[in-house]
Amino acid sequence: MHLTIWNSVFIVLGFSVVVVLLDEFVVKGWRHSKWERKAAAGDKDAAELLRVARSAKVSEE
Amino acid sequence: MAIDYDVPSDKRLLYWLGDKLIDYRHPVSIVVLLVTAVFAYWGFQLQLVTSFGDLLPQNHPYIKIHNRFSGTFGGANNIMIMLEVKDGNIFNPETLNKIWKMTEGLDKVYGVNHNQIDSIAHRTVRYLKVAAGGTMRATPVMLGEVKSQEDATQIRRVVHNAENIYGLLVSLDDKAALIRANFIEGRLDYRRIFDEVNAAVVAPYQDANTEVYVAGEPRLYGWVYNYAGDVFFILVITYCIEWVLRWMYFHDWRGALRPTITGLIAAFWGLGFIHFIGLALDPLMLVMPFLITARAVSHAIQMHDRYYEEFEKSGWHKRRAIVASFAELFVPTLSGITTDAFGVLVILLVPVVMLQKLAITASWWILAITISEMLLNPVVYYYLKAPEPELVMLRERGGFRLAINRFVKVLLTPAGKAITVVAWLGSAVVALYFLRGLTIGDPTSASPLLWVDSPYNVSHQKIQDKFGGVEPLIVVAEGLDKDAMKDPLTLRRMEGFQRLLERDSGIGYSFSLADIIRAVNSVFHELEPKWGVIPNNWVDIGGLFFIYFSGSPPTETAKYVDPSYTTAHVTFFCKDHKGDNIRRIVHRCKDYILGSQLEDLGVEVGDDNGAVVVKKISSDVTWEKAGPSWIVSEHGKEGEGPFQVGDHIVKVGRAPVTDMASFYAAMTKETASASLIDFGMQRGGQVSETTVGAPWKAVFKLAGGLIGTLAAANEELLRNDALMNFLGFFTMWMIMLFTYRSFAAGFYLLAPLLLSNIMVNAYMAINNIGVNIHTLPLVTVGLGFGIDYGLYIVSRTIEEIRIRGDLVDSVREALETSGKAVTFTAVTMVISTVFWMTSNIRFNAEMGLLLAIWMAVSYVGSQTLTPVLIVMMKPRFIMKEANRAPTLTSV
Repeated sequence: MHLTIWNSVFIVLGFSVVVVLLDEFVVKGWRHSKWERKAAAGDKDAAELLRVARSAKVSEE
Repeated sequence: MAIDYDVPSDKRLLYWLGDKLIDYRHPVSIVVLLVTAVFAYWGFQLQLVTSFGDLLPQNHPYIKIHNRFSGTFGGANNIMIMLEVKDGNIFNPETLNKIWKMTEGLDKVYGVNHNQIDSIAHRTVRYLKVAAGGTMRATPVMLGEVKSQEDATQIRRVVHNAENIYGLLVSLDDKAALIRANFIEGRLDYRRIFDEVNAAVVAPYQDANTEVYVAGEPRLYGWVYNYAGDVFFILVITYCIEWVLRWMYFHDWRGALRPTITGLIAAFWGLGFIHFIGLALDPLMLVMPFLITARAVSHAIQMHDRYYEEFEKSGWHKRRAIVASFAELFVPTLSGITTDAFGVLVILLVPVVMLQKLAITASWWILAITISEMLLNPVVYYYLKAPEPELVMLRERGGFRLAINRFVKVLLTPAGKAITVVAWLGSAVVALYFLRGLTIGDPTSASPLLWVDSPYNVSHQKIQDKFGGVEPLIVVAEGLDKDAMKDPLTLRRMEGFQRLLERDSGIGYSFSLADIIRAVNSVFHELEPKWGVIPNNWVDIGGLFFIYFSGSPPTETAKYVDPSYTTAHVTFFCKDHKGDNIRRIVHRCKDYILGSQLEDLGVEVGDDNGAVVVKKISSDVTWEKAGPSWIVSEHGKEGEGPFQVGDHIVKVGRAPVTDMASFYAAMTKETASASLIDFGMQRGGQVSETTVGAPWKAVFKLAGGLIGTLAAANEELLRNDALMNFLGFFTMWMIMLFTYRSFAAGFYLLAPLLLSNIMVNAYMAINNIGVNIHTLPLVTVGLGFGIDYGLYIVSRTIEEIRIRGDLVDSVREALETSGKAVTFTAVTMVISTVFWMTSNIRFNAEMGLLLAIWMAVSYVGSQTLTPVLIVMMKPRFIMKEANRAPTLTSV
């Protein structure tokens, strides 16, 4: 395929959207369940990570 | 919301500024977006254009000569088209008609100078024909398409007897013909010329037995434009890989997006500005915008990493984290950006318009990073949702962080420190050894812009092999008065010049008015070889010129001599444009010009302990007084004259003479147009002035053609290269001085940079990459690369030592935090820059690789040598900050 400025812009924008959606709706859930599995299997680091993350109160302001 | 917590007192203003930016986020973002939209609109209207005149140092004397005479004697933008047959020779109706049509086709190409086409099928290429009644006239070799083999054989006979055609436009084995055309510099549209030459001259005439090869500067740039679309592939692949890497590093899409916003905004501001000030992008400079954008992304990664760190430190308070990261990184980021911007600005020193434009636009572009990275940064973070704490903590537990920690531990051991210093010093010594091979100009005969096996370089080589040299060096012979070119002495000087330089291995052949007069004289005397000489008097020479040129309009004869016979040229066709060869050939030209003038004056001079001394007086030249001046005269007495053996020449005209080089420069300047020359001479301790009438009718002036323009560019680069490097480092050192209020700070940051610089230059020498007008700006931008990395490390060390008090601990923390982001930035930038290696434009590929190496070496220096030097030498500008944690205060 011959790339021009416009189809290049289209490709990079499309790629960015795919990465954002993938991260938000697929990887995030998978990553979380991975650490939960690790914690359940007795991994202290994973348990600590989950504990801190759950107790953290994020202030958006 | 005002800051309702205490902040470090010394950065109170920066905290306040960061907070206010968030308060006024809507107006700030609207203004920035509106301005960005305007710049983006302009940016999309940018075009790829190369202005040949902008590539030349216009104030250089060679370029002044080139500009004056390129319209008549030929410029630097020549196209050479070679038609070659595999079987048989070109002297048959079919092939000759191809040459005829190709010449016609070339004559119609946009921008061609119709009077500067050389081909056996063009009206300007003539031979002397004896007509009925013994009269002679110059007739074009081909008057139309060839209809029979007899006509073709007749043309072959003509070609074989014409000294100005055989070997020059038809190869000695009769298998190839050359068509040469010069293009008008103001009408150079490389893309259009490329397409039109392909359609009208190349494609229709290639077949199983016929090959067509095209070379020359317009063709070279045509190929470059043809390949410029590669940039989109590189851009897309680099963007995608960078996104994936940043996503993996931050475990979060925000980490991939935020640096992209910075890079894009800076790019729009930069590209829009280029269009706004009326400039265009050069396809050979496409690496430059890419690099500046990479710098912007690099700063953004530092900021993003610090934001996450502060987010965790502040107890997951988004606004506090944003303000803290903004305030804490403000100084190193601003220092890095200004260092880069002012470092590039030193390119302004080189008097080449293209480089000066580039210096201004690149500096602006780099400064625009301050808008996208600093002004807009807190606003963008505020608009984005805060990351999940889990992700921020994950970032600190990954394998990458562990690897960095392990490396830092080893580096700061006594053995690690010793190995670092020894390795750097050893590498520097090796690099210094190889550095000697660095060339100013092109180090190889093939064009460095394209790959050796590219169609262009293959064509260029084929034409060189068949015709010797094809790259012109034009030396103008400018008369002091009209009819100077009919002077026998002037023509003999031209002939002597040709014979001398043809002995140089870099010269293929040469051509001048002397060749025409000898050939015409020979034909006039029934082709007897003994008459193939320059006649002894003006009348015979004038008569022969009349015979040859009488049938041609002045527009055709102007490429040999101007209509008043005041000015002509000697053109040397060089075999290549290697920097060393150009320097040697130009040096020989200068030697000949000065030598012939001294011979005409009847003196020999030499260097005597730095002084220019008259060594010998010739008895062939006699002088007599004409009023206050001396003139060469047949009636003069031997022993009398303006010069005596042992005279010290201390001045020529108003220019002082201190050595042979200044003597040549003064003679060139004084004899350029004057017929009376003032010599200041020291004789017996007394200095006196003597005026001498110039015994010559014309003066040789350097230099036009491709080789002349390259010689000028190389001389300017050589003159400015060292100064630019010095000023580049000096600018950076000054900014370090202001940033850290320490003279020594520059040493710790610039020492690794200097060593990197030496290593990269050594790499260029080893890989035959010369310093030329295209490589110089990229090399200068590369100079500033390493400083950013070091700035983040040193600033973080100072920040840490205020709290920890211990230098080694502080350096360790700086390397494990800022160093981690620096490492990630360097790795991603090197990986993405390396993709330029896939470019069909060899220059871009080599520059991409070179800059990747530069970034890698600079990075290694900032992560090893800088911290080790700091730990070993305990600099005062860092140590004085120990345990001086700023008091906390309210804003």
